[in-house]
Amino acid sequence: MSIDIRNISKRFGNFVALDNINLDIASGELLALLGPSGCGKTTLLRIIAGLETADAGQILFHGEDTTDKHVSERQVGFVFQHYALFRHMTVFENVAFGLRVRPKQTRPSESEIKRKVHELLELVQLDWLADRYPAQLSGGQRQRIALARALAVEPKVLLLDEPFGALDTKVRKELRRWLRRLHDEVHLTSIFVTHDQEEALEVADRVVVLNKGHIEQVGTPEQVYDTPASPFVYQFLGDVNLFHSRVHQGWAEVGKGRIAAPGAPDAPAIIYVRPHEIDLSRVASGDALHGEINHIRILGATIRLEVDVEGHDAVEVELSRERYSEGGWQVGETVFLTPRTVQVYTPQA
Amino acid sequence: MAFKQASVLPGFNLSFGYTIFWLSLIVILPLTALVVKTTGLDWAHFWSTVSDPRVVATYKVTFGASLLAAVINLFTGLLVAWVLVRYPFPGKRLIDALVDLPFALPTAVAGIALATLYAPNGWIGQWFAAGTPLGNLFGPEGLPLAFQPIGIVIALTFVTLPFVVRTVQPVLADIEQELEEAASSLGATRWQIFRLVILPTLWPALLTGFSLAFARAIGEYGSVIFIAGNMPFKSEITPLMIISKLEQYDYLGATAIAVVMLVVSFALLLAINGLQWWSARRLGRRN
Repeated sequence: MSIDIRNISKRFGNFVALDNINLDIASGELLALLGPSGCGKTTLLRIIAGLETADAGQILFHGEDTTDKHVSERQVGFVFQHYALFRHMTVFENVAFGLRVRPKQTRPSESEIKRKVHELLELVQLDWLADRYPAQLSGGQRQRIALARALAVEPKVLLLDEPFGALDTKVRKELRRWLRRLHDEVHLTSIFVTHDQEEALEVADRVVVLNKGHIEQVGTPEQVYDTPASPFVYQFLGDVNLFHSRVHQGWAEVGKGRIAAPGAPDAPAIIYVRPHEIDLSRVASGDALHGEINHIRILGATIRLEVDVEGHDAVEVELSRERYSEGGWQVGETVFLTPRTVQVYTPQA
Repeated sequence: MAFKQASVLPGFNLSFGYTIFWLSLIVILPLTALVVKTTGLDWAHFWSTVSDPRVVATYKVTFGASLLAAVINLFTGLLVAWVLVRYPFPGKRLIDALVDLPFALPTAVAGIALATLYAPNGWIGQWFAAGTPLGNLFGPEGLPLAFQPIGIVIALTFVTLPFVVRTVQPVLADIEQELEEAASSLGATRWQIFRLVILPTLWPALLTGFSLAFARAIGEYGSVIFIAGNMPFKSEITPLMIISKLEQYDYLGATAIAVVMLVVSFALLLAINGLQWWSARRLGRRN
């Protein structure tokens, strides 16, 4: 089912949580709402679910206005960060809850409920836990049970609020791959909220980057990573080096070197370069930035070098392990830096 | 399981010893003295004292009225706690403080005040007196409130009001909003959420409040005697029996009745505790 979000605004006192948000979500899509804490992503998700009411704007499910519908009538599955499982019920009863509370006319028979619950528990690969209580499960298991419970009511939309936020890194990685596979199987329109850019890029079909109640950019993971629409998106999606400079006839000077900024107007500018998009050399070329390696950190597969650049702060450079050992770089060496890809923003524009 | 387990918390021996010493001094010693004193009575006398029809009638009144008062407080206490936790309103702190007043008030004062209010010519009692529209609903004699068993229930309800409120309040405040939101998103109605999600979580606290109120009501004396009317076989409570035996210097008879109360109360509290343990276990606090 498609979802249209039209001109949604929400304030909490003087704080603007959402400022005129417009967004179309296609049927069967897996969408990530990505942003730092306080950007309004959870509020937006709760408004879509009907757990929160917007001050202005409309939510349309499949073209039909659902703004005033109660959450219990919206047919949404909601998964909470802290699972919100019913502690006094077994796993089986938790999953069966949505079926048991239906009015008599539409309530499935006991055998039907049993079949359905076991089918869902098999889908989340936890059928063997049916008789346990939530307190006896691990975090990852609880979240999968919460997901099975949400799917039991056959929702038209699945909403997940930081679903992996309370889990440790390894379980989180496993679960997000599993969620992606699950989505490919059931093709339910799904929206999940996260502050982890890696998670958003890995799992989602499309990513919505939010900041201070605004949408900064909407696009596929490739689009938002490779062509960020704003400095915020650039910074939020991965590490970045900033050069404050002035563009003059297509070049921005940094110390004795300069960075190519073709097409940029002559004005003060901020230049963004990702650490892994910088080449190191011992030979001075015409434009390269001069620097001295002051620190080398080994982070598993990549090596991060901190280089003091003349006329600038320290710059981070990331090399693969092979490139690092080929170069044989040492602390204290003088090096020359050439950025391969840069993004130039002139603040006025 | 070993009696003493290795622990990072020091001082088990000292604190456990102190606890046992204190409980012995404050609780077990007087109660043991009571039982020992009773042994001065031979079995036939003991039995004839505690099974005297007039005394047996007081057991029924005491335990019946206490049970009724505790049940009433189970519902009204939950309601008061619910309102205090869930809704913001002006004067909330004042009402919150008011709940504890029955604890602070000398019970005799409460008894006299209640007797005055509920007497046939009192502020509330007059509306239920014979010949009044409300009273006629209950028959030609109206509904006498004071100086009747019903008066005992009123007094006990008043005195034990804080227990359920104060035990349920913190638990209710701790229930995560997310649980209700989850239930709601699964299609549950308000009533279903209350019955299936909130009430099971509150059960242990409700039971605790109930048993405290019940226990307190069984031993209550001061507020009851003023409003009960103290008619033999009808509105006499067991503590009154004990006092009247004492006034006749029948110390052994008084302790005999006291021992019966002690045993019955202990058995009832133990049963409620068992129920509580069982329901807490079902809440997933076991392992």
